[in-house]
Amino acid sequence: MATEVLMPKQGNSVESCIILDWRVKEGDPISIGDVVCEAETDKSTIEVESTAAGTVLKLLFAAGEEVPVMQPILVVGEKGEKVAATTAPPEKPVDSQDATATVASVATAEVPKQQPDPVATSTGTAGSGGDLHISPRARAVASAAGVDTVTMVPTGPKGRIIERDVLEALKGREPLSPAAKEALVNQALQAPAQGTGIGGRVLVADLASAGAGKSTTGQLSVPTDFPGPVSEVVVKGVRKVTAKRMHDSIATTAQFTMNAYADASVLQSLRARFKSSDPELGLQKVTINDIILFAVAKTIRQFPYMNSHFLGDKMRTFEHVHLGCAVDTPKGLLVPVVKYADNRSLKQISDEFKRLAAMSIEGKAQPDDLTGGTFTVTNLGAMGIDTFTPVLNVPEVAILGVGGISMRAVEDAEGDFTFIPHIGLSLTIDHQAVDGAPGARFLNALCRNIATIDLLMAL
Amino acid sequence: MEKFDLIVVGAGPGGYVAAERAGSLGKSVLLIERDQLGGVCTNWGCIPTKSLLNSAKLYRHALESEKMGVRAESVTYDLDAAMAWKQETIETLRSGIQFLMKSNKVAVVMGVAEFVDANHVKVGDTVYEGSDLIIATGSSPAVPPIPGHDLAHVVTSNEILSIEKLPASLAVIGGGVIGVEFASYFSSVGVKVSIVEMMDEILPMMDAEFAKLMRREMKGVEFHLGCKVTGITEDGVSYTDAKGNPQQLAAEMVLMSVGRRPNVAGLENLHLDIARGGIVVDDRLRTNVPNVYAVGDVNGKSLLAHSASRMAEVVVSNLYGAGNQRMRYHAIPWAVYGLPEAAGCGLTENEAKKQGREIVTATTQMRANGRFLAEHGKRAAGLCKVVADAKTKVILGVHLLGPYSSEMIFGAAVMIESELRIKDVKEIVFPHPSVSEILKDTLFAIEHTL
Repeated sequence: MATEVLMPKQGNSVESCIILDWRVKEGDPISIGDVVCEAETDKSTIEVESTAAGTVLKLLFAAGEEVPVMQPILVVGEKGEKVAATTAPPEKPVDSQDATATVASVATAEVPKQQPDPVATSTGTAGSGGDLHISPRARAVASAAGVDTVTMVPTGPKGRIIERDVLEALKGREPLSPAAKEALVNQALQAPAQGTGIGGRVLVADLASAGAGKSTTGQLSVPTDFPGPVSEVVVKGVRKVTAKRMHDSIATTAQFTMNAYADASVLQSLRARFKSSDPELGLQKVTINDIILFAVAKTIRQFPYMNSHFLGDKMRTFEHVHLGCAVDTPKGLLVPVVKYADNRSLKQISDEFKRLAAMSIEGKAQPDDLTGGTFTVTNLGAMGIDTFTPVLNVPEVAILGVGGISMRAVEDAEGDFTFIPHIGLSLTIDHQAVDGAPGARFLNALCRNIATIDLLMAL
Repeated sequence: MEKFDLIVVGAGPGGYVAAERAGSLGKSVLLIERDQLGGVCTNWGCIPTKSLLNSAKLYRHALESEKMGVRAESVTYDLDAAMAWKQETIETLRSGIQFLMKSNKVAVVMGVAEFVDANHVKVGDTVYEGSDLIIATGSSPAVPPIPGHDLAHVVTSNEILSIEKLPASLAVIGGGVIGVEFASYFSSVGVKVSIVEMMDEILPMMDAEFAKLMRREMKGVEFHLGCKVTGITEDGVSYTDAKGNPQQLAAEMVLMSVGRRPNVAGLENLHLDIARGGIVVDDRLRTNVPNVYAVGDVNGKSLLAHSASRMAEVVVSNLYGAGNQRMRYHAIPWAVYGLPEAAGCGLTENEAKKQGREIVTATTQMRANGRFLAEHGKRAAGLCKVVADAKTKVILGVHLLGPYSSEMIFGAAVMIESELRIKDVKEIVFPHPSVSEILKDTLFAIEHTL
């Protein structure tokens, strides 16, 4: 009479165990109390003893599989005895990827209606919804020590991370102070291999936010006496998006900035005339920035390579100009986009940008208003900045920084020096996509067009 | 030219420890000292003052022990014998250091070091070459140019240790550790002592309520706080009091203990970055010049012998040992060996508040402690205060006033360095009866639960 040996219950909280290693094989004689396999729970490693005597007729699971407690794991009977159909093992051992799929399907229906055999179903519940590539015990050890399991070398069955892999990864790590341990458990933090306490002990101050190691900011903290109270704010929202986009920009492009000054006399006088113009024309609010946007939109049509996206394996060049312009909002930096800027008159650009900037500042800008740019302008001139190095708005290949207007000495035909107002322009290009000389040609043309902005308006 | 792995200039607790540790790691080390092995600590600081203070404590105990059943008659204080004991202590320790240098194969050269460059130091006519250089030249008592500072009866902590006769009265200018210890000593042996301190309280590193109690307990000492010394004459000290009124103080001897200055003269050739407090170093004690390190008082970071020794170990460890060590200053214990004794480690309540931390504190009286009561009675002063983080309950500071404080405070350093929480220390067993139990009682006073 065949008897099933069950995966024993390990206290109240353990729902399943992973069979690490079979100690018996089919056909082996076995007595009560013999160890049949080694299994790992989330709390310990256990040896499962046989509760029956005779011959091992069938192992119902392969090593590495997770078995719910109180499920049969092997069948013991008399030699040559047939194994009953109900305890037959699944035809194919479920590999971890299949298991993931099974979990997903099982999750929708707790008790599957079709149950060809109980074993197949029970394997399907493996992992109780967790990450199947790490055993619960290994996960518990790793999280108590605050180590990232992603980099660990799995040596468990089917490429699973098991306790010994975590312990291996913990080698050479210094202990955590009691307070640091507590902080790790309560907050999403990670411990470095070595801290700044005695003997390299990891202190609370050494803990970094989980995942921070992958960003540019989460470095191992150094002991520093910060003066006075310190406040900490979680990076989220616009700040988080900006941080990621700026870092991506620097990390994935070859940024190269060139500076030039454009004669701003006509620009200034034009602006002055707008300001004092008949209110009915609606030009009084046209700003220097609007005029620069207009000049960029007109100039860039002659330099299509500047109106492009660099996508690694291809470059996408656009016929029309969707011109982004950076806006300082209470939430942080936003870049609304004036669509078809090249088709618009100066007044139309001015009106559209004002509308977009106001919505951005009020937090009402729609995603469509903030995407789809082909070139960006950022202006710090009003804040007294002369020139600067703008950061590319990837995948755009160029960004123009606009500085303030200042007087520059210029030698005239008679050899006399006169002071003429100039506006600072800083062009950052992605050298992957655009070379220095073509970039300079564009900037040069832009300077000329700004100097003769009155003529440009006729085009 | 003789070449060394390491040249150490200055044989105080920074320099000789650096030499000893590097020597024990098999490095060739040259130690240069212009005066005595052991530096200020062994010869004019920690050690001689402890010797004298202990003799003063014994004298006081002999005078006051009748209530405990010990009747001593015609008890006198013999300065010559006390000085001789002090001298013997110094010489024994000095020869001990000499032995340590020998057993660790450290070459010792007595003389004034001339710094040629980062790798060359000259003593007399001999130039020595070293791959690395540790500057451990220490500090000297600061003597501000107050009118009369150069009078014969104005002394610093150096000269006062070799007086041959006790003065009838002593004015101590400066109520820091040095001033308070000498005031305690002299008042204990019957000298009329006054302390003139510019700040509103003595012992700036001490918790405010402790400093107040300390003053109250130093019964023979007159305190003039918030007072600025304007001049010194043959008869005493003139100062303006807290209200701005000019005052006079009669004194046969004047001790100048207003602070210490780093010994940085002669370092010019090294082109070191030297700030007001001393040679600028990072937390690995590196100066702005590669291969040149500065440990101890000369960098002004923490003017304590044990800080200097630890700094030396950090440097030697990073150079030749397991490496990757940094100097930490947040758990360096200090002690004042007066009568009463006091010690502290970590943050005071005020410092913690200034840092914007949310804290919990408790202060307990030592008279509730068995051993303290048995040995000192219910009138004696003794306090223990613990400062802990309000949320994590990590111990941030421990402050003690009373006997054995200096011997107990290392425990607080262990707790703070290990970032132990109150509940962790509650699990540690303290010996009974001992004054140290006061610390555990204070922890329970903050957190009653088990």
